[in-house]
Order: sequence, then C-alpha cells, then structure tokens
Amino acid sequence: MSYDIVIVGAGGGGMYAALEAVRRNPALKIAVITKVYPTRSHTSAAQGGVNAALANTDKSDTVDLHIFDTVKGSDYLADQDSAAYLCEQAPILIRELENLGAPFSRLADGSIAQRPFGGASKYRCCYCADKTGLTILQTLYEQCLRYGIQFFNEYFLLSLEQEDGVAKGVIALDIRTSKIRKFEGKTVILATGGYGKMYWHRSSNAAGLTGDGGAACLRAGMALKDMEFVQFHPTGLRKSGLLVTEGARGEGGYLINNKGERFMSRYAPEKMELGPRDLVSRSVETEIREGRGFDSTAGQYIHLDLRHLGADLIKSRLPQIRELCIQFEGVDPINEPIPIRPTAHYSMGGIDCNTACETSVKGVYAVGEGACVSVHGANRLGGNSLLEILVFGKRAGMEAADLASKLPAAKISDQRLKDQEEHIAGFYGKNQAERYDVIRTELGTSLADNAGIYRSKELGEKGLSEILALRERFKKVKVADHSKTFNTNLMQVLELGNMLDLAVCVAKGAAAREESRGSHSRIDFPVRDDQNWHKHSIFHMNAEGEVSLSFKPVTMGKFELQERKY
Amino acid sequence: MEDKREITFNVLCFNPEVDEKAYFKSYDVVLEKGITVLRALNYIKDHVDPSLTLRFFCQAGICGSCAIRINGVSKLACTTQVWEELEVSKSKDTITVEPLRNFEVMRDLVVNIDPMVEKLKKYKSWVIPATKDADLGKKECTVMPEEFEPINPATDCILCAACYSECTINEGSNQQFISPLVMLRAYRMNKDTRDTVGEERLKVLVEDHGIWDCTHCYRCVQSCVKNIPIMDAIQGLREETFARGMTNSEGARHALAFKDDTMKLGRLNEFTLPLRTLGMFGAVGQIPFAIKMGLKGRVPPLLPHKISTRKQVQTMLEEVERDSKKSH
Repeated sequence: MSYDIVIVGAGGGGMYAALEAVRRNPALKIAVITKVYPTRSHTSAAQGGVNAALANTDKSDTVDLHIFDTVKGSDYLADQDSAAYLCEQAPILIRELENLGAPFSRLADGSIAQRPFGGASKYRCCYCADKTGLTILQTLYEQCLRYGIQFFNEYFLLSLEQEDGVAKGVIALDIRTSKIRKFEGKTVILATGGYGKMYWHRSSNAAGLTGDGGAACLRAGMALKDMEFVQFHPTGLRKSGLLVTEGARGEGGYLINNKGERFMSRYAPEKMELGPRDLVSRSVETEIREGRGFDSTAGQYIHLDLRHLGADLIKSRLPQIRELCIQFEGVDPINEPIPIRPTAHYSMGGIDCNTACETSVKGVYAVGEGACVSVHGANRLGGNSLLEILVFGKRAGMEAADLASKLPAAKISDQRLKDQEEHIAGFYGKNQAERYDVIRTELGTSLADNAGIYRSKELGEKGLSEILALRERFKKVKVADHSKTFNTNLMQVLELGNMLDLAVCVAKGAAAREESRGSHSRIDFPVRDDQNWHKHSIFHMNAEGEVSLSFKPVTMGKFELQERKY
Repeated sequence: MEDKREITFNVLCFNPEVDEKAYFKSYDVVLEKGITVLRALNYIKDHVDPSLTLRFFCQAGICGSCAIRINGVSKLACTTQVWEELEVSKSKDTITVEPLRNFEVMRDLVVNIDPMVEKLKKYKSWVIPATKDADLGKKECTVMPEEFEPINPATDCILCAACYSECTINEGSNQQFISPLVMLRAYRMNKDTRDTVGEERLKVLVEDHGIWDCTHCYRCVQSCVKNIPIMDAIQGLREETFARGMTNSEGARHALAFKDDTMKLGRLNEFTLPLRTLGMFGAVGQIPFAIKMGLKGRVPPLLPHKISTRKQVQTMLEEVERDSKKSH
C-alpha cells in the first residue's frame, strides 16, 4: 500500500500529527501504525499537566517567561528557536485541544485552571486532576476516530526506508500474523516514544519505550542527538520503578539505610530529605553502592519510611502514594517502610531534528520523546513533555501534509522486504542460544551502574565496553517461541536489539561529555563547562554497527548563558 | 528475610495455529511477597515458558493493556497483588488466569478488542464542538466547574474493557449490546457543554442493543478498575431521552408503562406491559414466549389488584421525581 503520510506511533504526538494532516488536506492517504492500541500509549502515564502561558491563574505570566524557564531548565542546551516556538504555540494548542473536548480542570470562572510546577516561575501548568496525559490521549483518539484516521494497530516498526536522502516509507511486522509488509510513504512521521526502558528494572517507563524509531534512524544512517541526557528520579519503587513523588518526603518521610541511619545528614545536613532531586538520587545511589542498602530478589534498595507520620496523616495527605505502594509493591506505608531506589524516568535525547521536525532525510519527521528538537536540552521541565508532543505533533502533521502533496508516490523494493525477513529468520537459527531476558537485565544493570546517576570517564568507558559485549552476545540471541500468531517473544527480542543500539550511544555520550550539565552529572567534572561543552552531541552508526560521535552548536536566542540556580 | 511462597498459576492457553480449543497450563513458581500478577506472569514467560502470550505496557495501571480474568474476575494484572489475591480467593496457593470474556481470543490471554473500537465509532464517542474548524485554538470555551463535575468521573476510563468482559447483556446478546464503556462515553459526550450532537447520538443510543437493554446487574460497576459509577451514566442517558421527549422507543415506553402501573396499582400489570412496550405487533411476537411461560405455570393475573401499601409507593415515586427535577 502506498500512502501520503505514514505515521509511526499513536501517542499524543502521532495522533496530533494525523489530526492536523487530515484537517489540512482531507484527500491525503494517511496510515498510523502502532505497536500498541493508541490509548495504551505512554502519553497516558503523564499525570502532572501541560504548560501554557494562558495567564488564567496568574495574570502576570507571559510567553517570554515560559521560554526563559524552559531554556534555564534545559541548562542552556535547548535550541532557543525551538523553545520559543514551543512556548509561543502553547496557548493556541491548549485552547485548540480544549475546543475539541479535552476535559481540563477549571477555575471558578470557567476558564482552564493552572497550578505551580517544578522549575516554573508562575502558575502555568494546565491539568485534569492527576490524569492529564490520559485525558489528552483519549481526546486525541476520539477525534482521530471522528475523522476516520486509519490505524494499523499492533504493527511493529522494522525499518525506516530512504533512498538518496528521500523518504520511501517503513517496513513493519504485523504482530498478529508475523507477516512483514511495506508501508510506502512519501513522508514518514516518527512518533515512537522514548528510550528510557533500556535501564529496564531501573526505569519507570512503559515496557515498550525501547527507542524503536531512533534505532530505525540509526540503521538508516541518520543522526541521533544528546542521547546521554536521561532524567532520573530519586525515589522509584523497587520492583516497578514507579515514582513515589516528592510529596512523601515533603510531608516528612525519612530516607533510611540498612544501619537504620537517616543518611541524608551526611549529604545535605540542612535540607536533609528535601535536598535537590539530583543530590538525593546520588546520595541514595552512594548508600547502595557502599553496601548500606537492603537486599531483595528485585535488587538492592533503601527505605523511605513514613511510619512516624502516623496512619491519619498518611491517609489524608498521601492517599495516592499509599495506594501506589499497596498495589504495585504490596507494602502499606502505614505499617512498613517503602522500598525505593533511583529510577530512569525520561529521555531528553532522540532523533536529531529541527523546529519544523525535519530530519536529515527529506520527508522524514520526528516528534515527541523519541525526537530531539531540542526543547529540553540537558534537563526537561515538568509539564513541557506533554506540551512538546502537542506542539510538534501538530507541526509535523502540517509539514508532512504540505510536502506530501508535492511529491510523487514512493516505492520500496521487494529486496528490502526480503532483507527484513532474513534478519528475523536469523533469530530462529539453531546456533542461537543466548537468553533475551538475561541480556536485557545485564543491560539495565550496566547502564544504571555506569551511565546512570553516577558518571565518570572510567565508568562510562566500562559501561560502553560492557554494552558492546552484550551487543555481540545479542547476535546469538534466541527467539524460543516459534508461533506466527501474536509472537510477543519475537517483539521482546526486536526491542532489545533497538535498546542495545541506543545504549551504545548513551554510554558513549556519557563517557565523552567532560562536564556536568542538567541530568548529566560527572563526578570527575562536577561543573558545567560552556567553553568546551556548550554543544549538542550527534551520534551516527555505520554499516558495521560502529557508533561515532560528533558535535553541533546550540542555537542561541535572546537569553545569554547564566549559571543555573533555583 | 523476604517472604516467599510456592504458587501455582493455571493459565487458560490457546494458540489457533495448533489448538482446537483452549486448555489450562499449570506453572509452579516460587514468588516473593509484593509481586503483582503481571510480574508473576512475566516471570513465567522469561524463565519457564517464553510462548506464554499476554499484553502489557505501562505496568502502572493507566494504559489498560493487561486486563485479564484473575480467579474469574476481570481486572488489571499489573495492579493485582499475588498475595492479596490468594487471601481473597479460596485457594491458598493457586491462581487461575483467563482471557477477558466477550472477545475472540487471538492467543492465550490476548483478545481481539477491535469490536469494542467499532462500537466506539458506531455511537460517535467523540465531541463535535460548537467551535468552527477555522476558529479552533482562538478562544477557550467556558466550562463552569459544576458543568465539568458530571463528566469528570467518566474521563477516568482507560478502555481496559473489564466492564465489557463482565457485562451480562453483552454476553446474552452475542456482543451486539452497546456495552457499558460505550454508554459511559456517550454520557460524557452528551453532558459536555461544548458538544453539539447530543440528540443525534441519542437517536442511535435508543436503537436495538442500545441503552434500554441494560438490566442493571451492576457487574460493570463492580468490575470497573477505576471505580467509575457507570450505572449513573446509563441512567443519565435514559433520563436525557425523556428530557428530549424521545419517548417513542421500546425502552422508553416500557419505563413509562412501568411507572404508570406503579403509580396506579403499586405493582405491575404484566399482562398489558408488553402491549404498551412493544405495541400490538411486537406483543403478538411475544405470544409463543407467553405460552411457554404459561406451560411452566408462570401466568400473571389478568386483572391485578392494587396493593395495600400503594399510597406509600406513590409517595416514594413522587419524592424521586421531585429529586430528579431538582438535580436537572
């Protein structure tokens, strides 16, 4: 089948793109292919809200302040033209979404309510209780159904096809039948999500945040950007990685090691548990590394103890945290301490693209957590991730719709299909003996230990060599399930392959960047170094799978470099 | 020391490539306290049987992928603690896991939810806003907090399909029934002050297999993983049909006849009820059914007498009517 636009991924970014494209030109043939049903996408997990300088709650808010907060939050690594576009479009996008039925919480006068959020200088975050991402995702899905968008649910992206720098479409696997098919497209929008799940048991992400779009780009010779920037949260649940929000420490929770000590007294004697996020993360990690953690089947952890707060306070002030602990960890914080450890949460890096979502290949666009526009730079501001998918989802849909109507139909050769069939058949060979789950766990551990909260030249290089060794072992990985019907075992193996390719980039970037900026924190280079490192990291992979690193300048604008202090 | 137990998972498996029908596979695993059913199933997949097939994604109770039946009840595997499940079930060491009901099974615990999506489309489960396309994004619509409140619970829905699986009418109608989650959406859209097609939507909702077919068994409410009061939405839609004067449907006529009888007699006149609900032709179609009932000795009185406490029933009804007028 041949299309004008092939969209890969049906989270907020992919669906906004589809909606914008179909409204702009109803004659366009659009296919949205997605490995999960659209409403399962990870957009649903964003609880907090979405930033827009509507100035409903605080009349003194402006777009400029929002741009400044975003640039400052990014530790000045964001491209300022992109950040400006993001913030200028924000009020329009929120109103548009609202006009289409998104249920936002309201102020007494009936306008959209806004609340304060980390790193924001004003009350700017629009929300719907604690289900903002869910309701936005559902609204976009509803509108896509209304406009008759054609979804190909449960198709897995195998490759991005391009010839001489021009988009040709994608090849994907129908998960239900294991059939491999072409989706020829004049334009392709990659809205495939982040890559934080490579930290596996040390990640709060959905199982499928495996960087599929980024990996496809790497293999197609395209660039990824700023891959070393991964946001961590200090208190993820031991088993699931789900976040126990700052609220628990804000209400007076203690962090306790296996000696029964409130160890934050060593790291932040004044602020104790309420020190900055990165400091708390490093402190918890240090305790575990130095043998003062607790042991369990799910790995080492420390205690977040709320028991001294009493049942009444926990029930009245922290009901959601309590429910989270009971449901996902089987622990009631009234009776037991919560087992926690730092967890990977959001990936700032991704497919290199500009403010128009354009990549180096004509007709290929990237959007959302899987893309790097870049608006988050070295550290994402809370409430800007949902905003990013809306603003740039719309932009990608607009750009692709306009370009597609000018291009001839795209063709993918049958040989490319055969290549993919052979690649997959290889996993069933009789010499395949490695277990995917073993490699996956070792990958998560190596990344967390060497390219996680703690980074240094030595650790980064150790991580890189470990990951390269895992990638060698992956060549012998086995798909044990030989069924053609809904073969999730095959999916897991393909996803692991994608994570391994991207993990090489993450580790390489973590080892190379000799400074501390935003989420990238080096013990051997503890301060930001604008002289040498105020630049984007760019990653390419050659046909042999070797990853190379180069750099590209940051686009500046009206805001000069400053020290980032809160 | 961690608390551990040996637990047996009985999983209903089916692969259409090789199996004629579904069968139970047993897996014995040692698990630690604090583990969810989803993690347990994934442990089995990773260590015991890589062919075990299930869906999951967010693992945080918000995407709805992993809804399955656990010990006979449709719920999310990722929010169900193994130890707690053992406590509430009769068995000390066995958990039975099956795919959702009312869907075709594709493989093991994976069902085809496309028919649910088709129903969302059939009943226009989206807002068609008053704002013209060219004006989108220019101005916020005003939605007062009291206008937002009625639709708020419905927007908790994650389309996990637990209610779809549990719905008895869905089962009884061979899945022709609209199903609870679609009614919930319809209610949410019709209550939305920004929407413009409430009446159009309602016309489809009152057709066969629509809102009047629900028999208030409350299974959807019991199984809702987000505790949404789905029945309120169903009742709300029915009330709206009257508010819009859409009384010319079987369901509406039935409800009116029901109320009429209760007012007059304090009980139902089961003899004339079908006539008033279905009309002359429809009621004739019910005659074979009536004869079968008669043969089983289930014959309603031809002229039912008024019950002695009729006055009290009337007072109750009047009270309910006043209440519902107040709330509109």
